Amino acid sequence: MMHRRTVSFLSVVCLLLLATSVSWAQNSEFEIIHTGSAFIKTDVEVNALDVLSGGEASVQASDMLTRIIGNDLILSGMFRIEANAGDSDSLSFEYTVEGTVEGPLRDAAQTGETAPTTISLNLLTWPGRQLLLNKRYRPLPSQLRSTGHHFANEVINALTGERGIAMTRVVFSRSSGEGSDLYAVDYDGEGLLRLTANRVLNLCPNWSPDGSEIAFTSYRDHQQGLFILDTSNGKVRAVTSQEGLNFGADWHPDGKELLVSMSRAGNPEIYRITPEGKVIKRLTVSNAIEISPSWAPGGRDLVFTSDRTGTPQLYIIDSDGAGRRRLTFEGRYNDSAVWSPGGDKIAYATREKNTTQIVVMKSTGEDRRVITDSRWRNCEDPSWAPDGRHLVFASDRSGVFKLYVYDDEEGTFRQLTFGDDPDISPAWSN
Amino acid sequence: MNRGWMNRTMMMVTGMTLVLAMVLLSGCGGGNNDIQDDPTAGMDTGTQVEDLPPPPVAEDTTDQIPATPDYESMDPSDYGVDDVFFDFDQYELDNEAMGILSSNARAMREAGTVILISGHCDERGTLEYNLALGEKRANAVRDYLVSLGVPKSRLRVTSYGENRPFSRGSSDHAWAQNRRAHFERP
Repeated sequence: MMHRRTVSFLSVVCLLLLATSVSWAQNSEFEIIHTGSAFIKTDVEVNALDVLSGGEASVQASDMLTRIIGNDLILSGMFRIEANAGDSDSLSFEYTVEGTVEGPLRDAAQTGETAPTTISLNLLTWPGRQLLLNKRYRPLPSQLRSTGHHFANEVINALTGERGIAMTRVVFSRSSGEGSDLYAVDYDGEGLLRLTANRVLNLCPNWSPDGSEIAFTSYRDHQQGLFILDTSNGKVRAVTSQEGLNFGADWHPDGKELLVSMSRAGNPEIYRITPEGKVIKRLTVSNAIEISPSWAPGGRDLVFTSDRTGTPQLYIIDSDGAGRRRLTFEGRYNDSAVWSPGGDKIAYATREKNTTQIVVMKSTGEDRRVITDSRWRNCEDPSWAPDGRHLVFASDRSGVFKLYVYDDEEGTFRQLTFGDDPDISPAWSN
Repeated sequence: MNRGWMNRTMMMVTGMTLVLAMVLLSGCGGGNNDIQDDPTAGMDTGTQVEDLPPPPVAEDTTDQIPATPDYESMDPSDYGVDDVFFDFDQYELDNEAMGILSSNARAMREAGTVILISGHCDERGTLEYNLALGEKRANAVRDYLVSLGVPKSRLRVTSYGENRPFSRGSSDHAWAQNRRAHFERP
């Protein structure tokens, strides 16, 4: 398991280096078109790739790549896809994706797996056939999915100027008997990977900004502590486990410090600490419960929960703990706030009657929208995708907590994880 | 044939009885309580030898003394330390909880072992707030036990929030079962 994880993370890095080194210069004359509104979607045709050599393995690679690229473009929310529109000129698509797959097969003798040597992917205007992008990849068999995701991100960036989320992942906690383990899954629900296997509770995971580490909360000898998992080798190190709670870590955007809630002083307070566990600054002082801190994208302000008025409500302070102001006045129970990557929105969990639901509002507190309802039973722990448009959360609408992704432009949902074991505490990578 | 055996037996019993009588006489005021408390011991010495019980041996006396419980290896519930329950969203102790804790405190003082108090919540509400609420519950229990004379150094506290339910399900009954402070060996 650990070996597979290492290979997986390293291979992504290798792929990125490779893609960068072989990518051709973009056509500088092309004018980037920003689609702007969510409801105006760009039509893109995704053709089956031409198999130049490599036989059946290359055909399968072609199928997988076109499927992944098409799905990524759809999941971005900004495109409509026409697969293999072929010669029909009645269609209204504006861009087309095509490419080639070449053998001979690589690594077949060593691994038993087969994959083509070279994959070339192109994005062209239609019907003008002006070349906008050409990317060449030389993936290992295990990198085929990443190849498709990488090119999809290139297409999204070229056509919208936005950074795609096709190579992002979601880390979460999956219960099993008395413990719960951390898992990571690709943003499209594929590539599920187990990260811990220590038979205790592993909760509240959160990615470092560069994705190289995951901070999380676990227990050793019944003492709750904060830990950091190195995603390149799976190694876990202890950060802090002073008496009381040590949980709810959120990385500063610079990756050099974390916000965390610790009760070493008797009840939970918000602290800034280094990744080595040294306290930089204590930000709250009260007898109330003060938990669930989340940085604003610039790392100057943070939102957190305090029940100093008798009910848990959201507050904003700056990174010195000053300038406290209350953000929520509606609802008697608000918690788990997360600031959107663009800084314009805050999502959180609120209790309505006997269930918990997800709210999205402006970070000013205006325009409050409850995006789930009682059909979703309980919804908890929202986390924003780096595009600031998609939001993952846990809901037990099926009878067991699973993860769902919400599109805040279109108001649509899709299920991300499946199976019988409860999935909670999702966090979306950058 | 039998007579010789019986004679030997009689002589042995008589002799042992005399020894026993000497032990009893010499052990007055500080001897073996079990022997002194034996209603047949110390009376009729030497007259009704055939009715005397066999002399007590070491193994028998230790068995009659109740063993000190090995509290370290017992779950606190085995020696009368019971869980206490909380109202929804509350960490204050009600009268029932305080009654249970008074009894717990006596058992804990007797046992003298280190005990882990874990705070638990029902599934409603958020994971984070329930971790904090569970800690408040465990702390409230610890503070009350300390006020009843249980040394603070013998009480550890942790919170599992909603993550270790005692009762599965989403009924009022299950929720009530899960809002508790639990006592266990650390």
